[in-house]
Amino acid sequence: MTINQTNENGKVTLALSGRLDTVTAPELEAALDTALGGATELCLDFTDLEYISSAGLRVLLKAQKIMNTKGTMKITGVNETIMEVFDITGFVDILTIE
Amino acid sequence: MVFTLILTALYNAILAVLIYIAEKKTAFGRIGYKKKQIIIGILFGAMASFASTSIAGVDIGDGTIMNVRDAAPLCAGLIFGAPAGIIAGIIGGLYRYISAFFGLTGTYTQLACSISTALAGFIAAALRKFMFDDKKPGWIYGLGIGMICEVIHMLMIFFTNANDPSTAFGFVKVCSLPMMLCNGFSVGAAVLAISLLGKDRDTVQFGKRHISRTFQTWLFICIVVAYVLTSTYTYMLQSQMSNTETETVIKTSIDDVNQDIQDTSDENLLNKTNLIKSEYIASGDKSAEFLQSLADKYKVAEIHIIDDNGIIVNTNVPQYIGFDMASGEQSAEFLILLDGTHKSFAQEYRPQSYDSSVAYKYGGVSLQGGGFLQVGYDANEFRADIDSTVKKIAKNRHIGENGFIVICDEEWNIVSEGTDYTGYNLASLGIRVDTEKYAENTIFGTEINGKPYLGEYEFAEGYYIVGVIGEEEALFMRDVSVYLSSFMEVLIFAALFALVYFLIKKLIIDNLNEVNRALSKITNGNLNVTVDVRDNEEFASLSDDINSTVDTLKRYISEAEARIDAELEFAKQIQSSALPSVFPPFPNRREFDIYAQMDTAKEVGGDFYDFYMLDDSTIAFLIADVSGKGIPAAMFMMKAKTIIKDLAESGLEVNDIFTQANAKLCENNDAGMFVTAWMAIVDLKTGIMSVANAGHNPPVIKRADGKFDYEKMRAGFVLAGMEGIKYRKTEIQLSPGDRIYLYTDGVTEATDKNDQLYGEDRLVGFLNSLGDTDVKSICGEVKKDIDRFVGDAPQFDDITMVSFRLNFIKGDDKISFIPGKDAGAAVSDFAEQLTSKLDVLPKISSKVSIAIDEIASNIINYSKAKTAQISYSIEKNKLNLTFEDDGQPYNPLEKEDPDITLSAEERQIGGLGIFMVKQMTESMDYKYENNKNILKLVMALNS
Repeated sequence: MTINQTNENGKVTLALSGRLDTVTAPELEAALDTALGGATELCLDFTDLEYISSAGLRVLLKAQKIMNTKGTMKITGVNETIMEVFDITGFVDILTIE
Repeated sequence: MVFTLILTALYNAILAVLIYIAEKKTAFGRIGYKKKQIIIGILFGAMASFASTSIAGVDIGDGTIMNVRDAAPLCAGLIFGAPAGIIAGIIGGLYRYISAFFGLTGTYTQLACSISTALAGFIAAALRKFMFDDKKPGWIYGLGIGMICEVIHMLMIFFTNANDPSTAFGFVKVCSLPMMLCNGFSVGAAVLAISLLGKDRDTVQFGKRHISRTFQTWLFICIVVAYVLTSTYTYMLQSQMSNTETETVIKTSIDDVNQDIQDTSDENLLNKTNLIKSEYIASGDKSAEFLQSLADKYKVAEIHIIDDNGIIVNTNVPQYIGFDMASGEQSAEFLILLDGTHKSFAQEYRPQSYDSSVAYKYGGVSLQGGGFLQVGYDANEFRADIDSTVKKIAKNRHIGENGFIVICDEEWNIVSEGTDYTGYNLASLGIRVDTEKYAENTIFGTEINGKPYLGEYEFAEGYYIVGVIGEEEALFMRDVSVYLSSFMEVLIFAALFALVYFLIKKLIIDNLNEVNRALSKITNGNLNVTVDVRDNEEFASLSDDINSTVDTLKRYISEAEARIDAELEFAKQIQSSALPSVFPPFPNRREFDIYAQMDTAKEVGGDFYDFYMLDDSTIAFLIADVSGKGIPAAMFMMKAKTIIKDLAESGLEVNDIFTQANAKLCENNDAGMFVTAWMAIVDLKTGIMSVANAGHNPPVIKRADGKFDYEKMRAGFVLAGMEGIKYRKTEIQLSPGDRIYLYTDGVTEATDKNDQLYGEDRLVGFLNSLGDTDVKSICGEVKKDIDRFVGDAPQFDDITMVSFRLNFIKGDDKISFIPGKDAGAAVSDFAEQLTSKLDVLPKISSKVSIAIDEIASNIINYSKAKTAQISYSIEKNKLNLTFEDDGQPYNPLEKEDPDITLSAEERQIGGLGIFMVKQMTESMDYKYENNKNILKLVMALNS
């Protein structure tokens, strides 16, 4: 998985590509830990992300919890497979998906 | 008598042999040097004392005993050591001195004998110390020293009895030869006996010292020649002087007697002449008849009247009338009566001028008014007058102490009184004088009562005066002089010999030896040795020359070394660039880790390692050790490495690689080099490792759940050792997590300064103490441990190690792995590989990936399993996934589904994965069998 990060006046965008699974989830977690410091708006671009496993969900949940306290978080470009996972797991209700 | 002396002489040899044997065979040999010297000194001192006694020696009268005492301290000193010699000498000397007071030994030579025995000890000590390097000399030296010491002994007898040389000479003449021979024999025999016993081990080896040997020989020859020449000269000179002296002594006595006879005869003649003159003057008759009557009356032969012109004018022998007295030598002597200086003159009995065949004695008295009256008669006529006086003249006359004088008549009948032979012919005394052969006053030899005598004779007034003296007495001074000077010469030449020898040894031989010692060190490679002999200019210059040569050599060597170092450094770079040296070598391969390192003992080494992927799922790695070190080993190593790699890449089995490599390496292997090698080819899909071993150390293998241990396997013969060798293949099934550690013998044979080996047990023990370390650290830590063990000792051999770890086995339809931190990525790879093969919609393949990820991550993170395996099969558009692990029993189906309606803040993340998988699969089946959790999933591939 690769992460492309952009910063714009407190708006942080992370574009992910590849898979977000047990192996790669820690990478995203580490990236978020540093990126979320002064962020008020988090955007996760899933356009190039193939799928997501429960390990990835855990990171998203953690980020959501943090952003709930200091701003907004949205996820864009979610594919069918990932959407299905979000559906199955009820994450559609927690996350802001555009 | 001589036998006694020889026996005593042998006692010293026997004592020496007994002590020598005791020293080698008994406890005597283990006592200290000082004690030993004292005991040996006392023993030989006792031997010296015993030799002084009348049992061991020969009494030559006056209580003086001819002996072989001096040999004992000489033996002690020369054979056993300087202190022993001194002690023995002092004991022997003291005994000799004291025993004389008790009449046990002679007093005449008391002082001389004591001093010379003590001196013998000191001489032996000094010679051993300064001349023989504290070793015992050869037997010939023993003989010589023994004899020279007796020369000193003899001189001592002279010196201590200087006021009585005659007695001293008597002793010396009898003793000198036997004592010199016996003492010399004694010391020589003792030294020889010990030399034979000890096989000459600790004898001074003069034979090996060529220079000193040559010097000694020539010095000895020169000294002998000089001795012979000076001794002969002294003898001849002394004989000559002695002869002259004897001649003079006898002549003086004879002359005395001669003078007495002459005086008596002259007096008798002049008396008669005066009486005749008185009667002639009183009568005034000048006729021949009257003169004849006077001649008859006085029993003389001739009466002449000579005028003041020296012409016979009147005579009783008419034929003489007119004879000129000046015309004959004999008659002319009487002319002194004419010049007024003499009134009377008596001439000795001699042939007359007128007729030299007739011997006469003439006397004359001057006449008043000029002229003189001469009377002549023959021996028969005057002998009758003087016989009675002459007979008494020789009485009580002595020449020297036992020489004497006899007076004989013209027929050699002894007339002088005072001998038992008076009246007999001289021949009855044993003296025969050959007047033809010996002139008057010359020495002739004769024999009286069997003893040699020297004699002379004179003829006077018809008498033979013969004086004789005993030859021994006559030649006494000569003999004493010859003995003394000979002895002195022996001493001086011996001292000279010792001095020259000592100087040559000290100035040349010792210095040469020192130079040679230094040179042999230099020859053996120690170029830091300097020669420093500065006793004299020649050796100082030699030392400087050698040192500067060595310095030049050192400079050349260091220059050559620098050049070679540079080339070796270059060679080292080439060698190390030939070995894989970038780690990790295959960053994309997670199935295994490999690391290798080589530390060469020299710049380049004969060890090598290599590894390469033969295809996508096969890795080959090997370790090898070429015999020898340095450049040749390095070159052979490059060859071996290339050949093996070429063969491996052509797809051969590992044993065939070795078989063919051996064949190629044997070709043209004139240098006789060989390689030990161990090679493995690992099939990463199955974990099967094929191994071939060509005489190399076995590998140390750690099973995933065990400890490092040697994997014993039969090794083949070394590569390049022999043609036609076939190698065997051994297959080992590896499991994920298995480690292999390979090394060369530089590891186990690393040696510390006490020559202890690092060893296999220490290696295995250390590897096991490391725990779960990565492949690089294993090599690094082992090397550090070796360095700690070795300390300052130099590294002798190349140290090479290869460390390999199999992380997981990824086959086409399954993966075996160890649930650990790297396992997730491996599983992820496996999932990707699977999905790429399925040829289904991305949605489906993502679900498969998610399912594998979820279940595998549960196993990895929670099961505490040691091994796990994922496998699959495809059947009628269905994918069957099977997960097996040996962790805690856990049935995911029994887990309650999470509440998915909660808000973000309330959500718990656990259980979500299993829930997702349940949603994505058609069926899930769990069982626990053979201590394994087995979970089977079935997923549809077409919806």
